[in-house]
Amino acid sequence: MQKDETLDAKGLMCPMPIVKLSKRMKEIPVGTVLELISDDIGSKEDIPAWCKRTGNELMGTSDEGGAYYYYIKKLV
Amino acid sequence: MVETKKIAIVVSEGTFDKGMMAMMIANTAASMDTEVHIFHTFFGLNLMKKTAKPKLPGLFKLFTGTFIKKMKKIGVEDYAGQIKLAQELGVNLYACSTTMDLMNIKQGDMWDGVKILGAAGFLDIALDADSTMFIG
Repeated sequence: MQKDETLDAKGLMCPMPIVKLSKRMKEIPVGTVLELISDDIGSKEDIPAWCKRTGNELMGTSDEGGAYYYYIKKLV
Repeated sequence: MVETKKIAIVVSEGTFDKGMMAMMIANTAASMDTEVHIFHTFFGLNLMKKTAKPKLPGLFKLFTGTFIKKMKKIGVEDYAGQIKLAQELGVNLYACSTTMDLMNIKQGDMWDGVKILGAAGFLDIALDADSTMFIG
């Protein structure tokens, strides 16, 4: 999937992937697609919830080699 | 634009687990662009002291250091680190005025930015919140 930036949050457990995601999303311009990589199984529910609550778009997800990949487009 | 939500949390115990749970939920909520208010009362007020190094309850107290080490390995800061993060994220921390008097805790003993409130002041916030949690 097309991406502009990557945030590698492997090795971090809840709530740190969300805290780091929120910080990074505040730094990047609207329209940017951020790839977030996490190996926290809780992220499967947490990342969609974060996107819904903050009004950003989860464009796609995939899961390879024990890690989860999220493609998030900054809308606000 | 998504409507801003507001959460009010009461913390009435001062052990490591209660303090960490409150701050981790608070910092997550703040990272979800939610307005967060935490009212510390009774033993929870000890967590607002700058010198706070909370321990697990009962005999588990002995394992507090192990917990902190394990949490650091997965990127989760200790209690003082959670407070620092909360201050950066704009979490509102409150101290119960009556408990301050009971426990002889002064404003200068507490983390920067802790505001002093009575029950009515906190209720005024909680009544307008979308969710209220009690941790104690």
